[in-house]
Amino acid sequence: MKILVVDDFSTMRRIVRNLLVELGFTNTLIQEAEDGNAALALLRSAPIDLVVTDWNMPNMTGIELLRAIRADAALKAMPVLMVTAENNRDQIIAAAQSGVNGYIVKPFTAVTLREKLDKIFERLAAVG
Amino acid sequence: MQSIETVAAYEVDPALRELLDSGDRESFEAALDTLIRGREQHLFHSLGCLARDLHDSVRRLAADISSDGVPGSMGDARRHLRDVIDMSSQAAHRTLDFADKLRPQARELSAEADALLAEEVHDEVFASQATALAIRVGDFTQALDIGIGDMVEAQSWQDLSGQRVAQVESFMGKVESSLLELVRLTGTLAGGHVAKVDKVGQDEVDRLLSEFGF
Repeated sequence: MKILVVDDFSTMRRIVRNLLVELGFTNTLIQEAEDGNAALALLRSAPIDLVVTDWNMPNMTGIELLRAIRADAALKAMPVLMVTAENNRDQIIAAAQSGVNGYIVKPFTAVTLREKLDKIFERLAAVG
Repeated sequence: MQSIETVAAYEVDPALRELLDSGDRESFEAALDTLIRGREQHLFHSLGCLARDLHDSVRRLAADISSDGVPGSMGDARRHLRDVIDMSSQAAHRTLDFADKLRPQARELSAEADALLAEEVHDEVFASQATALAIRVGDFTQALDIGIGDMVEAQSWQDLSGQRVAQVESFMGKVESSLLELVRLTGTLAGGHVAKVDKVGQDEVDRLLSEFGF
Protein backbone atom coordinates (compact mmCIF):
# COMPACT_ATOMS: atom_id res chain seq x y z
CA MET A 1 0.00 0.00 0.00
CA LYS A 2 1.11 3.54 -0.74
CA ILE A 3 0.01 6.63 1.18
CA LEU A 4 0.88 10.23 0.27
CA VAL A 5 1.09 12.73 3.15
CA VAL A 6 0.80 16.38 2.03
CA ASP A 7 1.66 19.23 4.42
CA ASP A 8 3.90 22.31 4.18
CA PHE A 9 5.19 21.70 7.73
CA SER A 10 7.74 18.89 7.93
CA THR A 11 6.84 18.36 11.62
CA MET A 12 3.25 17.54 10.69
CA ARG A 13 4.29 15.20 7.84
CA ARG A 14 6.50 13.35 10.31
CA ILE A 15 3.77 13.16 12.97
CA VAL A 16 1.20 11.79 10.49
CA ARG A 17 3.80 9.29 9.21
CA ASN A 18 4.60 8.29 12.80
CA LEU A 19 0.91 7.84 13.64
CA LEU A 20 0.30 5.76 10.50
CA VAL A 21 3.15 3.43 11.48
CA GLU A 22 1.74 3.19 15.02
CA LEU A 23 -1.66 2.32 13.56
CA GLY A 24 -0.10 -0.66 11.85
CA PHE A 25 0.71 0.66 8.39
CA THR A 26 4.14 -0.89 8.68
CA ASN A 27 4.28 -2.47 5.23
CA THR A 28 3.17 0.77 3.68
CA LEU A 29 5.24 3.11 1.56
CA ILE A 30 4.57 6.56 2.98
CA GLN A 31 5.52 9.35 0.61
CA GLU A 32 5.55 13.07 1.39
CA ALA A 33 4.82 16.29 -0.52
CA GLU A 34 5.00 19.87 0.76
CA ASP A 35 2.13 21.34 -1.25
CA GLY A 36 -0.63 20.49 -3.70
CA ASN A 37 1.56 20.99 -6.77
CA ALA A 38 4.22 18.57 -5.56
CA ALA A 39 1.48 16.13 -4.53
CA LEU A 40 -0.17 16.21 -7.97
CA ALA A 41 3.17 15.62 -9.68
CA LEU A 42 3.76 12.56 -7.45
CA LEU A 43 0.21 11.26 -7.95
CA ARG A 44 0.59 11.48 -11.72
CA SER A 45 3.96 9.73 -11.74
CA ALA A 46 3.30 6.73 -9.47
CA PRO A 47 0.28 4.81 -8.16
CA ILE A 48 -0.90 5.94 -4.71
CA ASP A 49 -3.74 4.36 -2.68
CA LEU A 50 -4.62 7.20 -0.27
CA VAL A 51 -3.89 10.93 0.14
CA VAL A 52 -3.76 12.58 3.57
CA THR A 53 -3.60 16.32 3.05
CA ASP A 54 -3.47 19.60 4.95
CA TRP A 55 -5.67 22.51 3.80
CA ASN A 56 -3.49 25.61 4.23
CA MET A 57 -0.44 25.33 2.01
CA PRO A 58 1.36 27.74 -0.31
CA ASN A 59 1.19 27.36 -4.13
CA MET A 60 -1.68 24.88 -4.14
CA THR A 61 -3.95 24.40 -1.12
CA GLY A 62 -5.50 21.13 0.02
CA ILE A 63 -8.95 22.00 -1.34
CA GLU A 64 -7.42 22.91 -4.72
CA LEU A 65 -5.56 19.61 -4.68
CA LEU A 66 -8.79 17.75 -3.88
CA ARG A 67 -10.59 19.48 -6.78
CA ALA A 68 -7.69 18.77 -9.15
CA ILE A 69 -7.77 15.09 -8.15
CA ARG A 70 -11.54 14.86 -8.72
CA ALA A 71 -11.16 16.62 -12.09
CA ASP A 72 -8.44 14.23 -13.27
CA ALA A 73 -9.86 11.16 -15.03
CA ALA A 74 -7.00 8.95 -13.84
CA LEU A 75 -7.12 10.12 -10.22
CA LYS A 76 -10.76 10.97 -9.52
CA ALA A 77 -11.48 7.83 -7.46
CA MET A 78 -8.52 8.49 -5.13
CA PRO A 79 -9.56 8.53 -1.45
CA VAL A 80 -8.59 11.86 0.15
CA LEU A 81 -8.47 12.47 3.90
CA MET A 82 -8.22 16.11 4.92
CA VAL A 83 -6.28 16.90 8.10
CA THR A 84 -6.58 20.58 8.89
CA ALA A 85 -6.88 23.34 11.48
CA GLU A 86 -9.68 24.82 9.35
CA ASN A 87 -12.91 24.00 11.13
CA ASN A 88 -15.40 26.60 9.99
CA ARG A 89 -18.68 25.35 8.59
CA ASP A 90 -18.26 26.77 5.08
CA GLN A 91 -14.89 25.13 4.60
CA ILE A 92 -16.12 21.75 5.80
CA ILE A 93 -19.09 22.05 3.40
CA ALA A 94 -16.74 23.09 0.56
CA ALA A 95 -14.58 20.02 1.22
CA ALA A 96 -17.63 17.75 1.35
CA GLN A 97 -19.01 19.20 -1.89
CA SER A 98 -15.62 18.70 -3.53
CA GLY A 99 -15.80 15.03 -2.63
CA VAL A 100 -13.54 14.62 0.40
CA ASN A 101 -13.58 11.12 1.95
CA GLY A 102 -12.76 12.16 5.51
CA TYR A 103 -12.09 15.31 7.51
CA ILE A 104 -9.95 15.55 10.65
CA VAL A 105 -9.53 18.76 12.65
CA LYS A 106 -6.08 19.43 14.11
CA PRO A 107 -4.90 18.80 16.73
CA PHE A 108 -5.98 15.18 16.60
CA THR A 109 -5.05 11.85 18.14
CA ALA A 110 -4.08 8.48 16.72
CA VAL A 111 -7.52 7.20 17.76
CA THR A 112 -9.27 9.80 15.56
CA LEU A 113 -6.97 9.03 12.64
CA ARG A 114 -7.71 5.31 13.01
CA GLU A 115 -11.48 5.94 13.08
CA LYS A 116 -11.47 8.05 9.92
CA LEU A 117 -9.16 5.68 8.05
CA ASP A 118 -11.28 2.67 9.05
CA LYS A 119 -14.38 4.46 7.73
CA ILE A 120 -12.69 5.27 4.42
CA PHE A 121 -11.49 1.69 3.93
CA GLU A 122 -14.90 0.26 4.96
CA ARG A 123 -16.66 2.40 2.34
CA LEU A 124 -14.08 1.53 -0.29
CA ALA A 125 -14.54 -2.20 0.44
CA ALA A 126 -18.33 -1.80 0.17
CA VAL A 127 -18.03 -0.02 -3.17
CA GLY A 128 -15.20 -2.17 -4.52
CA MET B 1 -26.43 79.49 -16.54
CA GLN B 2 -28.40 77.29 -14.18
CA SER B 3 -25.26 75.93 -12.47
CA ILE B 4 -23.77 79.38 -11.84
CA GLU B 5 -27.05 80.58 -10.31
CA THR B 6 -27.05 77.53 -8.03
CA VAL B 7 -23.49 78.27 -6.93
CA ALA B 8 -24.43 81.89 -6.30
CA ALA B 9 -27.03 80.74 -3.78
CA TYR B 10 -24.25 79.52 -1.45
CA GLU B 11 -21.69 81.56 0.41
CA VAL B 12 -18.65 81.73 -1.84
CA ASP B 13 -15.22 83.23 -1.64
CA PRO B 14 -15.53 87.04 -2.21
CA ALA B 15 -12.96 86.97 -5.05
CA LEU B 16 -14.89 84.15 -6.69
CA ARG B 17 -18.20 86.01 -6.24
CA GLU B 18 -16.68 89.08 -7.87
CA LEU B 19 -15.67 87.00 -10.90
CA LEU B 20 -19.11 85.40 -10.96
CA ASP B 21 -20.81 88.80 -10.92
CA SER B 22 -18.48 90.13 -13.61
CA GLY B 23 -19.90 87.56 -16.03
CA ASP B 24 -16.38 86.51 -17.14
CA ARG B 25 -17.13 82.81 -17.34
CA GLU B 26 -13.64 81.74 -18.37
CA SER B 27 -11.92 83.49 -15.44
CA PHE B 28 -14.59 82.24 -13.05
CA GLU B 29 -14.08 78.62 -14.11
CA ALA B 30 -10.29 78.99 -13.90
CA ALA B 31 -10.62 80.35 -10.35
CA LEU B 32 -13.00 77.53 -9.49
CA ASP B 33 -10.50 74.95 -10.82
CA THR B 34 -7.76 76.47 -8.66
CA LEU B 35 -10.01 76.31 -5.60
CA ILE B 36 -10.91 72.65 -6.22
CA ARG B 37 -7.30 71.71 -6.90
CA GLY B 38 -6.27 73.35 -3.64
CA ARG B 39 -8.87 71.37 -1.72
CA GLU B 40 -7.82 68.14 -3.47
CA GLN B 41 -4.19 68.84 -2.56
CA HIS B 42 -5.30 69.15 1.05
CA LEU B 43 -7.10 65.79 0.86
CA PHE B 44 -4.13 64.08 -0.80
CA HIS B 45 -1.77 65.60 1.73
CA SER B 46 -3.98 64.27 4.54
CA LEU B 47 -3.92 60.84 2.91
CA GLY B 48 -0.16 61.10 2.64
CA CYS B 49 0.09 61.99 6.34
CA LEU B 50 -2.12 59.00 7.14
CA ALA B 51 0.26 56.83 5.12
CA ARG B 52 3.16 58.32 7.11
CA ASP B 53 1.41 57.50 10.43
CA LEU B 54 0.69 53.98 9.23
CA HIS B 55 4.26 53.62 8.16
CA ASP B 56 5.48 54.72 11.60
CA SER B 57 3.15 52.21 13.27
CA VAL B 58 4.44 49.48 11.01
CA ARG B 59 8.03 50.42 11.84
CA ARG B 60 7.26 50.34 15.57
CA LEU B 61 5.70 46.90 15.15
CA ALA B 62 8.75 45.81 13.17
CA ALA B 63 11.00 47.08 15.98
CA ASP B 64 8.95 45.22 18.62
CA ILE B 65 9.26 42.00 16.66
CA SER B 66 12.99 42.47 16.01
CA SER B 67 14.94 40.74 18.75
CA ASP B 68 17.18 43.74 19.42
CA GLY B 69 14.29 46.23 19.60
CA VAL B 70 16.02 48.53 17.10
CA PRO B 71 13.64 49.98 14.52
CA GLY B 72 14.51 47.95 11.50
CA SER B 73 12.90 47.20 8.21
CA MET B 74 9.72 45.24 7.80
CA GLY B 75 11.86 42.68 5.99
CA ASP B 76 13.89 42.13 9.19
CA ALA B 77 10.76 41.69 11.27
CA ARG B 78 9.35 39.19 8.80
CA ARG B 79 12.66 37.33 8.79
CA HIS B 80 12.50 37.11 12.61
CA LEU B 81 9.05 35.57 12.35
CA ARG B 82 10.29 33.03 9.82
CA ASP B 83 13.16 32.26 12.23
CA VAL B 84 10.57 31.54 14.94
CA ILE B 85 8.92 28.98 12.66
CA ASP B 86 12.29 27.39 11.81
CA MET B 87 13.44 27.22 15.43
CA SER B 88 10.17 25.74 16.68
CA SER B 89 10.30 23.25 13.82
CA GLN B 90 13.83 22.19 14.79
CA ALA B 91 12.78 21.83 18.45
CA ALA B 92 9.77 19.70 17.47
CA HIS B 93 11.94 17.50 15.24
CA ARG B 94 14.42 16.98 18.10
CA THR B 95 11.57 15.85 20.34
CA LEU B 96 10.38 13.50 17.60
CA ASP B 97 13.96 12.17 17.27
CA PHE B 98 13.93 11.26 20.99
CA ALA B 99 10.55 9.59 20.57
CA ASP B 100 11.78 7.57 17.59
CA LYS B 101 14.83 6.47 19.60
CA LEU B 102 13.12 5.72 22.93
CA ARG B 103 10.01 3.94 21.69
CA PRO B 104 11.73 0.86 20.23
CA GLN B 105 13.99 0.66 23.33
CA ALA B 106 10.94 0.73 25.61
CA ARG B 107 9.29 -2.02 23.57
CA GLU B 108 12.44 -4.13 23.60
CA LEU B 109 12.70 -3.79 27.37
CA SER B 110 9.04 -4.72 27.67
CA ALA B 111 9.62 -7.86 25.59
CA GLU B 112 12.63 -8.80 27.76
CA ALA B 113 10.51 -8.39 30.91
CA ASP B 114 7.83 -10.65 29.39
CA ALA B 115 10.48 -13.24 28.51
CA LEU B 116 11.80 -13.18 32.06
CA LEU B 117 8.30 -13.78 33.44
CA ALA B 118 7.99 -16.84 31.21
CA GLU B 119 11.22 -18.38 32.44
CA GLU B 120 11.29 -21.03 35.14
CA VAL B 121 13.59 -20.06 37.99
CA HIS B 122 14.32 -22.59 40.77
CA ASP B 123 15.56 -20.14 43.38
CA GLU B 124 12.26 -19.07 44.95
CA VAL B 125 13.51 -15.83 46.53
CA PHE B 126 15.22 -14.77 43.29
CA ALA B 127 12.18 -15.83 41.27
CA SER B 128 9.82 -13.69 43.31
CA GLN B 129 12.17 -10.69 43.09
CA ALA B 130 12.67 -11.15 39.34
CA THR B 131 8.92 -11.53 38.79
CA ALA B 132 8.18 -8.35 40.76
CA LEU B 133 10.81 -6.43 38.82
CA ALA B 134 9.63 -7.79 35.46
CA ILE B 135 6.04 -6.76 36.24
CA ARG B 136 7.18 -3.25 37.19
CA VAL B 137 9.31 -2.97 34.06
CA GLY B 138 6.37 -4.14 31.95
CA ASP B 139 4.01 -1.60 33.51
CA PHE B 140 6.55 1.20 33.19
CA THR B 141 7.44 0.51 29.55
CA GLN B 142 3.77 0.39 28.63
CA ALA B 143 3.14 3.73 30.31
CA LEU B 144 6.27 5.10 28.64
CA ASP B 145 5.08 3.95 25.24
CA ILE B 146 1.71 5.66 25.70
CA GLY B 147 3.43 8.79 27.04
CA ILE B 148 5.78 8.95 24.06
CA GLY B 149 2.80 8.58 21.73
CA ASP B 150 1.05 11.49 23.47
CA MET B 151 4.26 13.52 23.22
CA VAL B 152 4.45 12.88 19.48
CA GLU B 153 0.81 13.95 19.05
CA ALA B 154 1.43 17.06 21.13
CA GLN B 155 4.17 18.17 18.72
CA SER B 156 1.45 19.21 16.30
CA TRP B 157 1.49 22.52 18.24
CA GLN B 158 4.43 23.47 16.02
CA ASP B 159 2.35 23.13 12.87
CA LEU B 160 -0.61 25.00 14.35
CA SER B 161 1.38 27.86 15.91
CA GLY B 162 3.67 27.97 12.88
CA GLN B 163 0.67 28.47 10.60
CA ARG B 164 -0.50 31.41 12.73
CA VAL B 165 2.96 33.01 12.66
CA ALA B 166 3.16 32.43 8.88
CA GLN B 167 -0.20 34.19 8.49
CA VAL B 168 1.02 37.21 10.49
CA GLU B 169 4.22 37.26 8.43
CA SER B 170 2.24 37.24 5.20
CA PHE B 171 -0.16 39.90 6.55
CA MET B 172 2.78 42.18 7.33
CA GLY B 173 4.02 41.79 3.77
CA LYS B 174 0.58 42.76 2.45
CA VAL B 175 0.39 45.80 4.76
CA GLU B 176 3.79 46.93 3.56
CA SER B 177 2.94 46.65 -0.14
CA SER B 178 -0.51 48.27 0.37
CA LEU B 179 1.16 51.10 2.24
CA LEU B 180 3.57 51.67 -0.60
CA GLU B 181 0.69 51.61 -3.07
CA LEU B 182 -1.17 54.20 -0.96
CA VAL B 183 1.88 56.45 -0.92
CA ARG B 184 2.30 56.02 -4.67
CA LEU B 185 -1.37 56.74 -5.35
CA THR B 186 -1.62 59.82 -3.12
CA GLY B 187 1.66 61.11 -4.55
CA THR B 188 0.42 60.67 -8.11
CA LEU B 189 -2.95 62.31 -7.33
CA ALA B 190 -1.15 65.21 -5.66
CA GLY B 191 0.61 65.87 -8.94
CA GLY B 192 3.74 63.75 -8.73
CA HIS B 193 4.71 61.07 -11.23
CA VAL B 194 5.88 57.88 -9.67
CA ALA B 195 6.71 54.73 -11.53
CA LYS B 196 4.98 51.65 -10.18
CA VAL B 197 7.29 49.82 -7.86
CA ASP B 198 7.12 46.05 -7.75
CA LYS B 199 9.87 45.34 -5.26
CA VAL B 200 8.88 46.77 -1.92
CA GLY B 201 11.64 47.72 0.43
CA GLN B 202 12.08 49.96 3.41
CA ASP B 203 14.28 52.36 1.44
CA GLU B 204 11.64 52.60 -1.26
CA VAL B 205 8.92 53.45 1.26
CA ASP B 206 11.12 56.05 2.97
CA ARG B 207 12.17 57.61 -0.34
CA LEU B 208 8.62 57.88 -1.60
CA LEU B 209 7.29 59.30 1.64
CA SER B 210 9.96 61.99 1.75
CA GLU B 211 9.54 62.65 -1.99
CA PHE B 212 5.96 63.70 -1.36
CA GLY B 213 6.74 65.63 1.77
CA PHE B 214 5.10 63.12 4.09
